[in-house]
Amino acid sequence: MFDFLLETLSVLILLSAFALMANKRISSYIRTFRIQSISIALAAGIMGIQSSQAEGRFDFLIVCLLIVALKVVYIPHLLHKTYANVKYKVEKDFILNIPIMIIICCGLVLFSYFALASIEGLGQGLLNLQFVNSVSVIWIGLFFMISRKKAIGQIIGFLVIENGLYIAAMLSTNGMPLVVDLGIFLDMLTAVMIMGLMVFRINDKFDSIDIDKLNHLKG
Amino acid sequence: MGLLLQIIPVITVALLFVIKKNRIMHIISLSTSSLLLIIAAYLTGQVILYGTVEYSSLGRFFYIDALSIIILDIVLLIAFMVSIYSVGYMEEEIRLGKLAKRRLRIYYILMHSFLFTMILALTVRNMGLMWIAIEATTLASAFLVGFYSDKNALEAAWKYVIICSVGIAIALLGITLLNFSSLNILEGRLLLDWTALYEHAEFLQNSSLRLAFIFILVGFGTKAGLAPMHTWLPDAHSQAPSPISALLSGVLLNSAMYGIIRTVAIVNRNEGSSVYTGRLLIALGILSIATAAIFILTQKDYKRLLAYSSIEHMGIIAVAIGIFSPLSVFGALLHMINHSLTKSMLFLSTGNILQKYKTKEIAKIKGVLKSLPVSGTVFLLGLFAIAGTPPFSIFASELSIMISIFQEKFFGLGVIFILLIAIVFAGIALNLFKMFYGEAQDKNLQPGDGNMPGTVCLVVLLLVIAITGIFIPEGVKELIIRAQNIIIG
Amino acid sequence: MNNLIYIFLQALTILMLAPLVNGLIRKMKAFIQKRQGASIFQMYYDLYKLVRKGSVVSEVSSWIFKATPYIFFASALVAAMLVPVSTIILPKHIPGDFIVLVSVLGLGRFFMMLAALDTASTFGGMGSSREAMVSTLIEPTILVSLFTIGLISQSTSLSQIMLTVQGAGFPLAHPVYIMVFLALLIVIIAESARIPIDDPSTHLELTMIHEAMILEYSGRHLALMEYGAAIKQLVFMTLLVNVLVPHDQIIAFTGFLALFLSLLIYFFKILILTGIIALIEINTVKFRLFSIPNMAAFAFILSFLGILQYFILGGSNV
Repeated sequence: MFDFLLETLSVLILLSAFALMANKRISSYIRTFRIQSISIALAAGIMGIQSSQAEGRFDFLIVCLLIVALKVVYIPHLLHKTYANVKYKVEKDFILNIPIMIIICCGLVLFSYFALASIEGLGQGLLNLQFVNSVSVIWIGLFFMISRKKAIGQIIGFLVIENGLYIAAMLSTNGMPLVVDLGIFLDMLTAVMIMGLMVFRINDKFDSIDIDKLNHLKG
Repeated sequence: MGLLLQIIPVITVALLFVIKKNRIMHIISLSTSSLLLIIAAYLTGQVILYGTVEYSSLGRFFYIDALSIIILDIVLLIAFMVSIYSVGYMEEEIRLGKLAKRRLRIYYILMHSFLFTMILALTVRNMGLMWIAIEATTLASAFLVGFYSDKNALEAAWKYVIICSVGIAIALLGITLLNFSSLNILEGRLLLDWTALYEHAEFLQNSSLRLAFIFILVGFGTKAGLAPMHTWLPDAHSQAPSPISALLSGVLLNSAMYGIIRTVAIVNRNEGSSVYTGRLLIALGILSIATAAIFILTQKDYKRLLAYSSIEHMGIIAVAIGIFSPLSVFGALLHMINHSLTKSMLFLSTGNILQKYKTKEIAKIKGVLKSLPVSGTVFLLGLFAIAGTPPFSIFASELSIMISIFQEKFFGLGVIFILLIAIVFAGIALNLFKMFYGEAQDKNLQPGDGNMPGTVCLVVLLLVIAITGIFIPEGVKELIIRAQNIIIG
Repeated sequence: MNNLIYIFLQALTILMLAPLVNGLIRKMKAFIQKRQGASIFQMYYDLYKLVRKGSVVSEVSSWIFKATPYIFFASALVAAMLVPVSTIILPKHIPGDFIVLVSVLGLGRFFMMLAALDTASTFGGMGSSREAMVSTLIEPTILVSLFTIGLISQSTSLSQIMLTVQGAGFPLAHPVYIMVFLALLIVIIAESARIPIDDPSTHLELTMIHEAMILEYSGRHLALMEYGAAIKQLVFMTLLVNVLVPHDQIIAFTGFLALFLSLLIYFFKILILTGIIALIEINTVKFRLFSIPNMAAFAFILSFLGILQYFILGGSNV
């Protein structure tokens, strides 16, 4: 039963990455990111229950709480606040049309499948499935960053990459040591805050958060 | 004692938050960096005596060996120089009205947190923690890059944060795979522990380790400024305040390279040969040198030119690590030291030039030797040094790398290598030597160096690189050989 | 000979049920909207009324216009023979598989589009072009999802697939089937011209797709077209419920009673699906025409992820 839930959650996370790719507005980016984070928190919670029953480990439960506090509640709130404060006209935010980007994402998933198929020991059922899915989330996050022109879109892309990394670490290797996990959270939180602050400043100086306008430094 | 290294910067940052007077801030910053330098000297002695420094009471957290102490020494030495230089430089910036007076506090807080994260990256044993520290260096230095808050600085800072965070995120995937490759052998507290991974390297799972290496190379390579992930580097180096450029180029790049070297050591031990890592490193290295060479030839901004030169030198180090013979690794480590000292000296002297001429464009600057007698001379000689002219130390390390390339029978590589370095030399000579002669266009320029303590630092650094070009002190040699043994195993 | 009787029975079930299902969806929508709504048997009355009336055929139209209702209805009928309502009715070796199913339905659709162009009315052409767009976008999804299940059961025959899936117990407890289920749900909505792809209950020129194509038909011809469409819809619904939520494995005995029970469960499942479709129709608004590719892309992603998860899993423990 646990396995089924984890499998389904990992597919759901991948699906939410695709959904993010298809989103057009910044508020829906944030909503999709929140949904993705909820799925990750659920996965962490399930693994936490499993490991606390089996080995008496509680680190996953701590991590689960942290994810809920940071990725589900605080960071989306922060992004909403940033977004509300930045003057923003509705413009086309992406470089290609959505179906083409979705098809490119399919290619990315295939790519990570073929790249990872070469690893021995990943082929044992579950492990492989989830690892391919989470690595695909990373690539889709990267592509999302490339395909969006607004600075907030890039922050979301970064967060999705982080989510993908997190789920990869959690599902394939049973989690990093707790200290490392906590450190990663701390780093991520600081990164998002710094990026958010920079969005404000960019908006101040450039009157827009379109990063196409950041093109003075060349050569 | 070693722990003080991590605690002192934290205390300093805390102190800087409460202190009001600029003068006292200068003093605190100076005393912190000199204190750190003293501790580093002590630790170096310990490493020479005992091989490693670790504290059993702390579990497996703190760890220094010859490899990390070399880079740590560079970090702290340059940090010391930079904090001396910063005093004069920042006062001048405030006097010129480029910065508000209250910004000094933020500058010092950020600088010392940056220093803290770099020290942390070099003194932890766990690869995961090392990753966290290296990611934190980006975050700590982001606002330093964008310190002037004008359009260009913001653009550079944004690119820096985004590119480096994403790159580093990819390195985390590599770390995850590294962890995965060791799951059958290690458990609990030994997970991701560098010494444990290194000892059990033969038993790690090969295919996932190979993938891990690629991701770590790309990730930390982004931070180390290897092409084609280098695009943030020229922007960040040219827009940051000059002392920070010196820190970024002389120190940060090395810390990232340190992460790569640690991984290379594990992977090569696991593979039993250096062919796999060697190919990747040499390819990236040559690509970096070539990219840098092209951009140096057509560069119009002297700080950017120096930044590209950093990319070139990181490329040289990558190639040397890729060759992986004792001589080349020796050369690589020596080159790291030499490049850091020389490059930070150059960036510091550009600070003087920039404050005098208020422009970064090469074409608008003439007669540097007249208007800045000391720092102009240092800059000129430094350019000779960075291009690899004897008797400066970079010549020595580049020569040993070249010899090792030919010894290992990479003839084609050697030829390309020499050719590219010659192009870089030509580019530097062609573009920058124009600055030194002729008369300054602006007649109001007062000749004279200003920032006396900073200029003294420049001269000291120049002497160091000139002397080590001729002979390397026994202690340094001993350390490098030990580090080389750690890497090659 | 036996086979023929079985197939006849099978087709008859779907033929009988199809208008009822249509009526059920309408009734449920009305119920959710707190309206009285028409009787669930309304479509039978409509069809009866239409069949008795003569049809008006435009003078400028060719034979295609007159032949199309029959071809369309025949294609729907063949489709009805291919998708088993119950594995108890159906013999083990039925000729034809899901590739035939998709192409037969494609044939019907092709003639419908031709006929709509044939009368040279503006709405007809508009409807055909839109229908062509929707069907090109949605057909890859149908095929990929069906191929996924085909891969799992190592066969393209629908009855064979059903038997394999029945052996798997409760298939929806697996990501692959969940993906395929969701993909096929979107396919049903698109194929049966429902909200949010198309609106079956309006004749507003901006939104019509299916209705625009059959606008010129009347009387007997119209009856055939509407009946065919209803059959097509039920065929897809049957495909979804029988392949992904199989029920025959829980019937332990054989004989007439088993058949009756099986059909009862089948009808119950269709009823639930009807409810789901009605709910979707109520809760969404019709998409702009240009948003349909995004919806289709989403459906394709679902089926693509389904087939990919199958490969990633190695196919063994599905």
